Amino acid sequence: MPDDLLIQAEAVTKTYHAGNVAVPALRGVSLTVGAGEFLALVGPSGSGKTTFLNLVGALDTPTSGALTVFGRDVARLGKGERAELRLHALGFVFQAYNLVPVLTARENVEFVLELQGMGAERRTRAEEVLAQLGLVDLADRRPNELSGGQQQRVAVARAVASKPRLVLADEPTANLDGENAETLIELMRTLNREQGITFLFSTHDPRVVRHARRIITLEDGLVARDEPHTPETAHA
Amino acid sequence: MKLSIASRYAWRSLLRHRRRTFLSVAGIAIGCAVCLFVVGFVRGEGEMMLRAAAASGAGHLRIAPPGWRETGENRLRLDPWEDLLALAAETPGVTVATPHARAEALLAMGTRTAGVSLVGVDPAREPQANRLVQRVTEGRYLAPGETGTTVIGHALADRLGVGVDDLLMVTTSGQGGEMGSAMLKVVGIVSTGSRLLDDTFCQVSLADVAQLTGYEGVGDITLLVDDPQRRLDAIRQRLAARIGQRAEVLGWQEVVPELAAGTEVDATWSRLIVGVITLVVFFGIASAQLAAALERRREFAVLSALGMKRGRMVGIMLTEGLLLGSIGGLLALLVGASLTYLSATYGIDFSGMYHGADMGISNILIDPIMYSDFGWWLVPLALLLSLGATMLSSLYPAWYAVRTDPAEALRVDQ
Ligand SMILES: Nc1ncnc2c1ncn2[C@@H]1O[C@H](COP(=O)(O)OP(=O)(O)O)[C@@H](O)[C@H]1O
Ligand SMILES: [Mg+2]
Repeated sequence: MPDDLLIQAEAVTKTYHAGNVAVPALRGVSLTVGAGEFLALVGPSGSGKTTFLNLVGALDTPTSGALTVFGRDVARLGKGERAELRLHALGFVFQAYNLVPVLTARENVEFVLELQGMGAERRTRAEEVLAQLGLVDLADRRPNELSGGQQQRVAVARAVASKPRLVLADEPTANLDGENAETLIELMRTLNREQGITFLFSTHDPRVVRHARRIITLEDGLVARDEPHTPETAHA
Repeated sequence: MKLSIASRYAWRSLLRHRRRTFLSVAGIAIGCAVCLFVVGFVRGEGEMMLRAAAASGAGHLRIAPPGWRETGENRLRLDPWEDLLALAAETPGVTVATPHARAEALLAMGTRTAGVSLVGVDPAREPQANRLVQRVTEGRYLAPGETGTTVIGHALADRLGVGVDDLLMVTTSGQGGEMGSAMLKVVGIVSTGSRLLDDTFCQVSLADVAQLTGYEGVGDITLLVDDPQRRLDAIRQRLAARIGQRAEVLGWQEVVPELAAGTEVDATWSRLIVGVITLVVFFGIASAQLAAALERRREFAVLSALGMKRGRMVGIMLTEGLLLGSIGGLLALLVGASLTYLSATYGIDFSGMYHGADMGISNILIDPIMYSDFGWWLVPLALLLSLGATMLSSLYPAWYAVRTDPAEALRVDQ
């Protein structure tokens, strides 16, 4: 597998069991994602976007098929190994921000670095990231003292602080208004361009989609379309 | 010192529900404080009983003839008692050794009579071992070498209507069932402070008991030792080894089992109380911590998604328990130690409970004011109880936290 292939999915399926009913969330997804991509996962609600992101994020394992993330077969990893993979190679941004409420913005960022085993320099690194994202003034605020847009930007800072190769974002702008959604996606785009971080995000929002460089459409647990896209800039 | 984010997280998690945390801490503090107080009281009671037994003549240890323990027979004699007395007296740790010979006797003055436990003593040694004989309020104590004299209790003297220098007739059943009688001159009257004890107190010389009963020698040797709280068992074993088959060495608990039994009952109760309180605290904290964990399901999922390993998560939950337990334990120590200190210094007066009656058990005078035992032992016990209860009760919430399935808990649509 070439070095710049981050994700390789081959006929990946995922079936949930709700009581006696089998719910096929993914029914054979095949795709590859290379390093440096800025990729939107779109599709109607229930089409399997979250399920796919959870599999790639090693939060869950596929029912069948082959899924390799960073060359590692997710199905074969133990719980500890999957945690290790998330900790060192992946970043997450959630729809509901999900910052730790009792920690300040800076501490939220530092927490991930501490989990990675970083020592005293973690504070400097956290401040550096917050500065890059224009969040210095908010560093000492707790999530409940931040607006939704600000919280999500802190969440992005938390996701990229440990310099992951891939950031997964599940509907990151769903709770944001248009302006904040725009700001956030531009922030992600900048990180993608300047630091080469690969972004894979699911979304409904056309204003977000138009920034993508590739768009994969899921329908009913299958890839319906997979096409390159020329991002429009905000000023265009 | 710079705290890790994980410990700040644990600490602030406790603060996010101040009232719940306050109640948990108060529960631990009150529960453990009560435990400390109860344990301090029972320890103090044990020490007091030991001291009471010692001061009232039962001693810490007793050298008794083979068979005495089973029969309680006063006619049994130590052989050779002089050797045993010398051996006991020179045993390291033994501070006082005093010989006794006992007999049930009837005292008579005119038409008045009273049954007593006649105790033959060595007047030179007895006052060292028996604090009661130091309370001679009229006349004097027995003098070494004299015979035909007695010191009796104040209540007994009243009952018989005798005073110092009066003559009493004493009758016992002696060897072969024969009656032995003699006249005794009252030289002193003792006020022990307990009517119960005063009523049967009657001491004479060893020679008089031998003459009255026909049994020469000594029925037991009563010993006091140095630092009985700690050294009693060791000294007892050492002595028993030196004496071998010639006699038995008994502890005060065997000499006055009624006294030891009371303490034992209280000790058992205290263990029960401590056990129940610890259990209640344990379940209280467990349910509070579990409620806290349930509310944080999504948060655990997020931390897990970010790559937090199970060990860390357990560590955080245990840290929360540790913090709760330490604060609760320190408060418990503050409250429990203060209460214990007060009751160790001023005592708790139980005389009202006995309606002014004496606190005497088996010829042992017991002070109706109980003093708790105050000491360093409070610190480890407070920490053991509070940390034990909270750490254990944090295990289930910790298990819940690591078991949270992140993919499941993060679903927005539920
Ligand atoms: N844990 C689950 N148990 C049962 N069904 C689930 C579970 N997670 C998702 N599903 C189902 O799987 C399908 C895909 O869901 P999802 O991946 O969340 O779609 P999307 O994110 O595109 O809206 C849906 O029908 C959903 O109801
Ligand atoms: Mg979804």
